[in-house]
Amino acid sequence: MSLQLHNVRLPLAEFALEMDAMFDRPIAGIFGPSGAGKTSLLDLIAGLRRPIAGTVRLDEKVIFDAAVRLNLPPRLRRIGYVPQDLALFPHLRVRANLMYGYRSPLMENELFTLGHVGEVMEIAHLLERNVTTLSGGEQQRVAFARGILSVPCLLLLDEPMSSLDSRLKKRLIPFLLRIRDEFRIPLIYVTHDAGELVALCDEVLVLERGRLIERGSPADVLA
Amino acid sequence: MKTRILTLLLSVLIATSISAAELTVHAAASLSDAMNEIGRAYEKESGDKLRFNFGASSMLARQIEEGAPADLFFSADEAKMDALEKKDLLLPGTRRSLLSNFLVIVVPADARATPKSAADLARPEFKKLALAEPQTVPAGIYAREYLQKLTLWDAVKDKVVPTENVRAALAAVESGNVEAGIVYKTDSMISKKVKIAVEIPPAEGPKISYPIAVLRSSKQPDRAKRFAEYLAGPVARPVFEKFGFSFAK
Amino acid sequence: MTAEAWQIVFFTIEVAALSTILILPLGVAVAWLIARRDWHGKAIVETVVMLPLFVPPVATGLVLLMVFGRHGLLGSVLQRGLGVEIVFTWRAVVLACAVMSFPLLVRTAQTAFQGVSARFEDIARTLGASEWRVFATISLPLATRGIVAGAVLAFARAMGEFGATVVVAGMIPRKTMTISLSIYQNIQLGHDAVALPLLFVSIGIVFITVLCGQIISMRKRPR
Repeated sequence: MSLQLHNVRLPLAEFALEMDAMFDRPIAGIFGPSGAGKTSLLDLIAGLRRPIAGTVRLDEKVIFDAAVRLNLPPRLRRIGYVPQDLALFPHLRVRANLMYGYRSPLMENELFTLGHVGEVMEIAHLLERNVTTLSGGEQQRVAFARGILSVPCLLLLDEPMSSLDSRLKKRLIPFLLRIRDEFRIPLIYVTHDAGELVALCDEVLVLERGRLIERGSPADVLA
Repeated sequence: MKTRILTLLLSVLIATSISAAELTVHAAASLSDAMNEIGRAYEKESGDKLRFNFGASSMLARQIEEGAPADLFFSADEAKMDALEKKDLLLPGTRRSLLSNFLVIVVPADARATPKSAADLARPEFKKLALAEPQTVPAGIYAREYLQKLTLWDAVKDKVVPTENVRAALAAVESGNVEAGIVYKTDSMISKKVKIAVEIPPAEGPKISYPIAVLRSSKQPDRAKRFAEYLAGPVARPVFEKFGFSFAK
Repeated sequence: MTAEAWQIVFFTIEVAALSTILILPLGVAVAWLIARRDWHGKAIVETVVMLPLFVPPVATGLVLLMVFGRHGLLGSVLQRGLGVEIVFTWRAVVLACAVMSFPLLVRTAQTAFQGVSARFEDIARTLGASEWRVFATISLPLATRGIVAGAVLAFARAMGEFGATVVVAGMIPRKTMTISLSIYQNIQLGHDAVALPLLFVSIGIVFITVLCGQIISMRKRPR
């Protein structure tokens, strides 16, 4: 998969987000101080916010073009999103949350089924539970699973583990790697935690005040 | 020096309060146009200011009973005045019956269906009949008593749309939302949007009488009496006649 | 309480309930549009919706009389086309109650929708939901408590409606006589004693309704 942002510009409160970059690695990390525009970048990619200039291409398809006023709505982009607070629907049980965005894959596929995803994310036993009664780690995995089950071309994660302690983080990292390996969904992963960068990302883009100031492997960037 | 200024101020205050009094007159709704005209003339002549409160006599009487400040009450029927007299709210010796009126059946000016007599009101083409509230408001009571006398009340009572006062009944006919209404002749004369279908002959119709009295609670009974005299006098009489009122025997 | 008085009580409850049911769909739709969308003329629509709260009720009644009377804009169409009369019938009572309680429903429902985190709606969109599905499966269920509270308020307001009703429906015994109108008439007649039981019954009904509304609002919902 390749995601290409070309001369994209999105005005924010204190500065403008300006991006010209391509994402084509399995797990790309977005790193930067809070307020740098990381969440706005993900919102933009998902179609939740609309830039005032530029183009966005997903694989060969143009999903945004300011010049011709083309803006594909989120539901047609097939880009999954796990936001910072997870946004698990509180009025639906785990099963309903998971199946909310479920789209049958185009081909017969045993991978993207509730049973298999539930197994891989180890939440099969939680299906009838109320999401608000789950532990932090369980909610996390349900959020990942919900994203997977919408069979997206790309999955965006916004500091998904920021509210968890380091022990729990260590336990959840393998699940993210499973998304990459088992389901082959590319990820764009926003975080300000260096440990997560090193453990997960193939490359890191550093964002500051809306601009890309550095790009490279986790080791290079953190040095 | 100070006491002189004070006395001057005080006398000016008293003088102004003596020379320009304000009289509050509660009068039946059907009297509104005539009273406004007579009132303007009286204000010029006497220097008093008149404040009119027009409404259904039943509502006005109730307000007086509850202590609403007023100097004069000009009612559309004797019953409301009797009620106040029983409660000793009238200034003795000031009550007199002044005017009389007639009832008419009116229809909207552009109406196609017109009753030729009160009995026609029972026919199906007359679906709604506007009356002032037939239990309490004089105009409604007069109308009901008349229809009862003709044994028509049972036939028409389900068609009745009761209104707050007789002018509201007139307005309902004007709007075309009812097919007919029973109001005073004086009301029908001021409206171009209704036409008289039937005039209820005075011999057949109820005895309509408009009494006036000064209220015991009046703070300026002499001025109030003066205005009541004026209303019975030669200047006011032609104005009442112009509006269609007749005079009590 | 005489049989006649009970008839008045039941009639009032019926029209109040009917008017509330009638305004629910439009009220919820308008509330959602105001809460979640911007469009040309939105401020004007908002103001018009709120008008019955501030304009003297009799003035609102007059407007209704002019529009729905036999010669009115809508009244003439209804009469000639469908043979339906509005003014001085029970329909006018329902109309008056509906118009006077509409702003209360919209205001409360609007707040309820605004209280639903936009994040839930956004995530639902990324999961492929159409705008209608987002409304029906996310916004509406999560705003239900507030909407119910709005309906309760609307019902209570309709139970007590007087000013507009007296102008557009009149006080016709057995046809348009509501509790408020009956109390007023009895006061005019000097029959205060008859008015008192009606007064207590109407307070009682509204008290129970609002209490139920409060209980529904406060029922523990899993967050």
